[in-house]
Amino acid sequence: MTTTEPERPASSRARVVGSWWLPTTGVSVFGLITAIELDRTGATREIFFNVQQPWAVYVMLSVLVGLMVYGIGRHATLWAIGQPTPGLREQVAKRLTHLVRLGLAQEKIRRDRYAGIMHWCIFSSIVVLTFVTAQVAIDDDLGLHFLQGPYYLFFSFYGDLFGVIGLVGVSMALYRRYFDDFHRIRWDERLEDHLIIWGLAAILLSGFALETLRITADELHQHPDWAPWSFASYALALGLDMFKFEEHQLLAAHTWVWWGHLVIAMGWLGLIVFTKLDHIFFAPINAYLLRTDSPGRLTKIENIEEREVFGVGQIQDFTWKQLFELDACVRCGRCTAVCPANIAGQPLSPMHLIQDLKMHLADVGPAVQKAGHEGHDVRAVSPLAMVGDVIKDETLWACRTCGACVQECPVMIEHVPTIIDMRRYLVMDEARVPATAQAALENLEQRGHPWRGTTFTRTTWMEGLGDVPIFDGSQEYLYWVGCSGSLVERNLPVTQSVFKLLREAGTSFGVLGQEETCNGDPARRLGNEYLYQILAQQLVETFKAKNVQRVITNCPHCFNTFKNEYPQFDGNFEVLHHTEFLAQALQTGTLKATHPVSSDVTYHDSCYLGRLNGVYDAPRQILDFVPGVNVTEMKRNMSRGLCCGAGGGNMWQEEVGARRVNHVRTEEAVETGATSVISNCPFCIQMFEDGIPAVQPQEEGRMRAFDIAELLDKAVFGEPAPRNG
Amino acid sequence: MHLVICAKQIPDPETPPSAFKIEANAVVPAAGISPVLSPFDAQAAEAALRLKESAGDTKITVISMGKESAQAAIKQVLAMGADEGVLLNDDAFEGGDSYTTAKVLAAAIRKLGDVDAVFCGRQAADWDMGQVGLGIAEDLGWPCAIVAKDVQLDGGALVVQRVLTDGFETVKEPLPAVVTVSNELGDPRYPKLQQIMQAAKKTVTTWGVGDLGLDASGVGAAGSKLKLVALAQPAAGGAVQIIAGETPEEQAQGLVQALRDARII
Repeated sequence: MTTTEPERPASSRARVVGSWWLPTTGVSVFGLITAIELDRTGATREIFFNVQQPWAVYVMLSVLVGLMVYGIGRHATLWAIGQPTPGLREQVAKRLTHLVRLGLAQEKIRRDRYAGIMHWCIFSSIVVLTFVTAQVAIDDDLGLHFLQGPYYLFFSFYGDLFGVIGLVGVSMALYRRYFDDFHRIRWDERLEDHLIIWGLAAILLSGFALETLRITADELHQHPDWAPWSFASYALALGLDMFKFEEHQLLAAHTWVWWGHLVIAMGWLGLIVFTKLDHIFFAPINAYLLRTDSPGRLTKIENIEEREVFGVGQIQDFTWKQLFELDACVRCGRCTAVCPANIAGQPLSPMHLIQDLKMHLADVGPAVQKAGHEGHDVRAVSPLAMVGDVIKDETLWACRTCGACVQECPVMIEHVPTIIDMRRYLVMDEARVPATAQAALENLEQRGHPWRGTTFTRTTWMEGLGDVPIFDGSQEYLYWVGCSGSLVERNLPVTQSVFKLLREAGTSFGVLGQEETCNGDPARRLGNEYLYQILAQQLVETFKAKNVQRVITNCPHCFNTFKNEYPQFDGNFEVLHHTEFLAQALQTGTLKATHPVSSDVTYHDSCYLGRLNGVYDAPRQILDFVPGVNVTEMKRNMSRGLCCGAGGGNMWQEEVGARRVNHVRTEEAVETGATSVISNCPFCIQMFEDGIPAVQPQEEGRMRAFDIAELLDKAVFGEPAPRNG
Repeated sequence: MHLVICAKQIPDPETPPSAFKIEANAVVPAAGISPVLSPFDAQAAEAALRLKESAGDTKITVISMGKESAQAAIKQVLAMGADEGVLLNDDAFEGGDSYTTAKVLAAAIRKLGDVDAVFCGRQAADWDMGQVGLGIAEDLGWPCAIVAKDVQLDGGALVVQRVLTDGFETVKEPLPAVVTVSNELGDPRYPKLQQIMQAAKKTVTTWGVGDLGLDASGVGAAGSKLKLVALAQPAAGGAVQIIAGETPEEQAQGLVQALRDARII
C-alpha cells in the first residue's frame, strides 16, 4: 500500500499538461468555423493602416537579420575550436523525436508546472503573433490580399487571443521574477533578464494599444460587426471611445504607437543572439544533439594509450557540442536546485559551472582560435587554468554523477559528462586527487577492489549458507555480488538475503567467488578512465571465457556498468538488478512472501537504478508483495529522488561543505515518519547507516536502513521483524 | 645529483587475516592477492622525488632485490617519477636476511658509482626488521639518519627531521648518506597517466650476483647470519568489558582506572 502518490515519470505527466493545447486548439477551431458560418465576405482592413514610409520596417528587418547572422557567426567560430562530436549522424529518428518532444513540445520545461504554463503562454504567443505579423507583411508586400472575409475575422480573433495568452505568460514571469522570494531564477540575475521580460510586456501592450486605437478610429464605427472579433482590443476600444477623442488625435497616437511597437519588437528580436533568448534556436538544436544512449553511460576514450591529453583540461578539449550547449544555458537554475551537492551547501552549482565555462570560452576562445589559425601552441594561450582556476577542483569532486541536473535541464545540457571529462584531466593528466579517493584508486589498482583495509574476503559471506554454486557456464545466471556485497560488513547480509531468495526461487545461478574483481565503476567515476578500461577489458574477457549470458547484480552501480558501459568493450550481456529479478519471481509465483512484516517504511530510489536506468516500478512492486508493509514516499521520489551522497566516487571522499548529503537525505526519510528506509544499493545503505545516528542522536526509536532484499528475506523466510519496526 | 631508492615488493599487508596462511615456517601467498610495493618504500620514493624537485638536475634510480614480479614495484616508482630501474634478481639472493640484503643493495649502489644519497623505507612492511637501510650505510661507510619525516638538501649535506617518540629531531648528515623514511612524511604522490605509460615502456636493468662482483656463498640463505626458527600466526580474539558508572564522568574515571590496571597508560 502506498500512501503518498509517487511522482510519475514524465511520460504520464505529459498527458495532463499537454492538454493545455486542447482548449486553445478547441477555441481556435470554434472561432474559425463560426467565422466561416457567418460568411462576412468583404471584411478586411487596410494593411499598414495610417502608416507612412513602411519601407523603414524592411530596413530594420535587414539590420536585424544582419545582427543575427553576425551574432550566431560569432558563437559558431567559438564552438568550432572544440573537438569533433561523434555519433551525430546516428539514431536520426531518435534525435528527431527529441527535437519534437524536448525542443518543440518542451517536455522538460513542464517538470516545473508553473514554468510549464508560463513558458507555453509566452512561447505560443510569440510563435502565433510572429505568424500574425508575417501574414500582414505577406498580404501586402506580395500583393496576395488574403486577409479578407471570414479568415480576416478569424485572424483578428486569434491575434487577440494569443496576445492575451502572451500577457498571462508575461504576468506569470513578472510575478516569479519580482515577487516570488528566493527563486532560483535569481541566482544569477542579469540586466538582460529584466530587459527581456519588460520588452516582451511592452511589445504585447503596445500591440494591444495599436489595435485599440485603430479599432476606435476606424472599425468600431465603420464596421461595428467586424470589430468584436478582436475581442480584447474591442473591449478596450469601447472604453477609449467613451473619451470621444477626435479621429486625427487617434490617428496621430496610432502612428506613434505603431513605430514604438515596431522599434521595441525589433530591438527585442535583436536581443536574441546577444542574450539568453538565443535558447529559442539553441534549445531545439541541443535537443537534436542530445545523447541517444543511456544517461548512465560515460564516454569511452578511444585509443587512450595514444593520446597526449586524456581528459579535458582546456576549453578546446571539449567537443563542439559541449561548447555549443554552454550557449544554450538560460540560467534558470533548475540544475542547481536539484543538485545534491548544492542542496547540502557543497561547492558545486551546475548552472554556475556551465556559466563559468561559457565566460571562459568567451574570454579565451578567440585567442585559441587565432593561435590555431596561425599555427601557434593553442595550449599556451589561456592565462588561467580552466581546471583549477576557472573550475575549482573541489567543484569537480563534489559531483555525484546522479544525473539530476541533466534530467531537469530544459535546454538539454549534459553537465555530468562535462564534469567527468574535467575530472579525468585532474586524475590522469594532473594526478590531483583527494587523498581518500587516491587510496580507493590505488586499492583498485593493487587489490582489485576499492575497500581499503577490509578484513573480509570475497567468500566470507558464503559461511553458513551451505553449498554455494560456483558459476561454470552451465547455469542460466551469474549472480554478481560485487566488492561492497562481499567486503563491507554492512552489505554482507544483503548478499546473503539475495542469495537465499535466488535459491528459494529455484534459479539456476552461480557466483564467481574468489574470481570476482571490481568491474571498474569507481575508477571511471573518479576520473581514472585508463584504470577503468583495464579492469573492464579483463572482466569482459572473464565473462566471455566463462560463457556468461545473464547477470543479476546486487549493486545498481555494477548493474549500470554491465548494462550500459560494457557494450563499449564488446561485452553484451543481459543484466538485471536483484530488484528486477525478485519482482519477476514474486509475480510468477516462484517466490512467495507469506510472512507479514509489519513495518512503516519509506523507499529511496538509488540514482543508478532509478534516474539513470528508469527502474522505479520493480522495487515498489516488491514492497506491494510484502504483507504488512506500509510505504510512505519521501517528498523527493522516483525521477526527482535525491542522491544518498555516495555516487560519483563520493563513497570514497571526504565531503567539503556545510552539510553532508546523506544527512539531508536521511532527514527527508525521517520526515515521512517511517521506521525503516528501504533502498537497493550498498552505497545508499551505508550512507543511511551513517546518516541516521547523525540525524537521530537518540538511539531510542531510531530509523533503520535495509536493502529491499533484506525486507523480502523476512517476508519469505519469516525471520523476526526489525527492531522498532 | 644521483639518488637511489631501495624498494621492496612484499605480500599485501592488507591481506585479510583469514586469507593469511603459514605452512612449514613460511608464509603461503594468499590466492588472488597480488604483492605490493612496501608502503614505507613508497614514502622513501616520495622523499627522493621532493628532493629532486627542490634540487633540480637530479637522477633517481630505483633498486629492488627480488624476483621478476618485483618489476611491478620498480615500475610503480618509475611512474612516480624515478628515472631508471635496476632489478637485483638471482637465485643466490633467495632466503637472505637483512644483512645479506643490505650487502647486495650496497654492492649495487657501489656499481652505480656516483650515488649521493640512498632512500629506504623505515622498514619493510612484511618483516618489519628495519635493518636494511642501516646495513647499507654500514657497508658503504656512510652516515644514516633513520625514521625521517622531512629531508632537505643543504649544500653538501642532508638536513633530516627525524620522528622520535616524544617529538622531532633535526640532524644534518654530509653526503653521501643514507636516509630511512617514515610515514609521517606524507602520502606518496599519485602518478600521472603519462608517467605510468612512460614507465611501462622503460627497460629495467637486471643484475645478478656476478654483475655485482659478489660471491654466491656470501649472499642469500648461504650468507645469512639470522636463522628463522619458528613462524606462527597469532590467535585473534577479543573481550569486552563494560565500564559501569552513572554519569559520563564516572564512566570516564572507570575507563582510566581500567586502562591503568591493564598498564596501558
